[in-house]
Amino acid sequence: MRRDVQAAVLLLLGSLLLRLTLGGSYVYFVKVSMKPILLVTAAVLIALAGWNLWQAWRNSESHDDGHGHGAVPRVAWLLVLPVLVVFLVSPRPLGAYTAARQLATAPVVAEPAELLPLPAGDPVDVPIADYITRAIWGQGQTLEDRSIRLTGLVTPDPDGGWWVTRLGLACCAADALSFRARVLDAEPLPANTWVEVTGRWVPGDSGNAAIPLIEADDVSRIPEPSNPYE
Amino acid sequence: MDVVTEAEAKEASRRRIGGIEVLAVITVALVLLQPYLVGRLSNPALQAGATVFVSIVIQALPFLVLGVVLSAAIAAFVPATFWEKALPKRPGLAVPVAGCAGAVLPGCECASVPVSGSLMSRGVAPAAALAFLLSAPAINPIVVVSTVVAFPGEPMMAVARFCASLVTAVVVGWLWLKWGRGQWLRVPKSRHVEGQAPWQTFAAAATHDLLHAGGFLVVGGLAAAILNVAVPQEWLQTLADHPALAIIGLALLAVLLSICSEADAFVAASLTQFSLTARLAFLVVGPMVDLKLISLQAGTFGKSFMYRFAPTTFVVAVMMATLFGWWLL
Repeated sequence: MRRDVQAAVLLLLGSLLLRLTLGGSYVYFVKVSMKPILLVTAAVLIALAGWNLWQAWRNSESHDDGHGHGAVPRVAWLLVLPVLVVFLVSPRPLGAYTAARQLATAPVVAEPAELLPLPAGDPVDVPIADYITRAIWGQGQTLEDRSIRLTGLVTPDPDGGWWVTRLGLACCAADALSFRARVLDAEPLPANTWVEVTGRWVPGDSGNAAIPLIEADDVSRIPEPSNPYE
Repeated sequence: MDVVTEAEAKEASRRRIGGIEVLAVITVALVLLQPYLVGRLSNPALQAGATVFVSIVIQALPFLVLGVVLSAAIAAFVPATFWEKALPKRPGLAVPVAGCAGAVLPGCECASVPVSGSLMSRGVAPAAALAFLLSAPAINPIVVVSTVVAFPGEPMMAVARFCASLVTAVVVGWLWLKWGRGQWLRVPKSRHVEGQAPWQTFAAAATHDLLHAGGFLVVGGLAAAILNVAVPQEWLQTLADHPALAIIGLALLAVLLSICSEADAFVAASLTQFSLTARLAFLVVGPMVDLKLISLQAGTFGKSFMYRFAPTTFVVAVMMATLFGWWLL
């Protein structure tokens, strides 16, 4: 690989990172907190590209073919692939397809030390992961007699009904976990519709493998939030 | 001799239709075909696979850049004599010291491959550099803390992970010392050129390592993304019901999924149908052997190294995870 080509590949990759980060779609792939790290990485890539371009230009002036810093193997061409995938497939955030492939039972990580009462609000917005913890470990005690609003996307159940679903990232989309609560008394909706479900907690089976339920009073469609994950 | 034959001139002009021209064609094709293709590539499995692929590359790139910059700095600014003083003379002793030194590199597995390659090229015994390669992604503070956070009810999980990973790294290092042959391992060449400014060496080494390792990262990310959308969950349930199969099964799953070592504890915690020992195997194997690492190692140290090193490490890691799981969990 020639030095100017190396510079071009680095520049492409750096620009991809810059575009995803500044355009905001990086949240489809990694956690929001990665933003400064991605910007620094993009800066390093672009700076290295600049250095290589300058070297290529200087060496072509002096007709010196460089110091022979070892050939860069052809595998480096594959670095163009992420750029191609982003432009051609234009990947969307993970959604119902990924959620449906995971177990319907709640991925409750561990028993929390103490469940604080829900904050004020009528209805009160509760993250779905938090709802699951309160429903299953707290036996719903902190949820009783409250009007609760869950925000997520629709994962249809092949046997009828649907779950309001939010995927959670620990690090990047490769480790996404699905958090979902089964919505009772709601009209069927197509997969991946973003909704706000306002309703009340109702007891289901207790225990670690339980599926938390919510009895819907109101389901309204909303646009996709800027951060699709929890 | 300045005589250039016709064939040579032809060859030279043919070679000039190279990189930049290919990139230009790709760019034009992208611009023309994008609206046409985007609609056709909307299959949900393909979309999910693409998201996972891009996310693995984006998540790993900063750590790869960190590792490459660090290893280039070692090559350019740290004199070779430093390592002779820092590590014990006897390689048998240098292996555990290097294994413990892994605790100070706060990164994931992508960073440790270029750094250990650079250590070897600066004269560190390969066995010691390999112990560092294996231990760094598994026992550094970020990984230990994330394991504690992911298993709040199981404080021994982080302890067992730390011990099993460190012991695996040292044992594999010693195995290499005893039976490893020099010709299996392609030690990355030092890019130090006499009379060159250190920062020139630095930038040249960083460019080379980044493009080289980055290409292999893409191979590994692609394989992991395909498996991520192709492994059915029902298989996991079947495995979880057999204690021995569960350990081997989760160890293999760790190889296939190639999750970053800073995040794998959260995934392990969610695999509640599996025993703690099986999940420990997932956490010990993952940072040492996975598809993107195998690809990175093959690229950095050569295929004949990878064929021997990855299976050995896998077997030792599974054994140590079973041992420490039985003892501590």
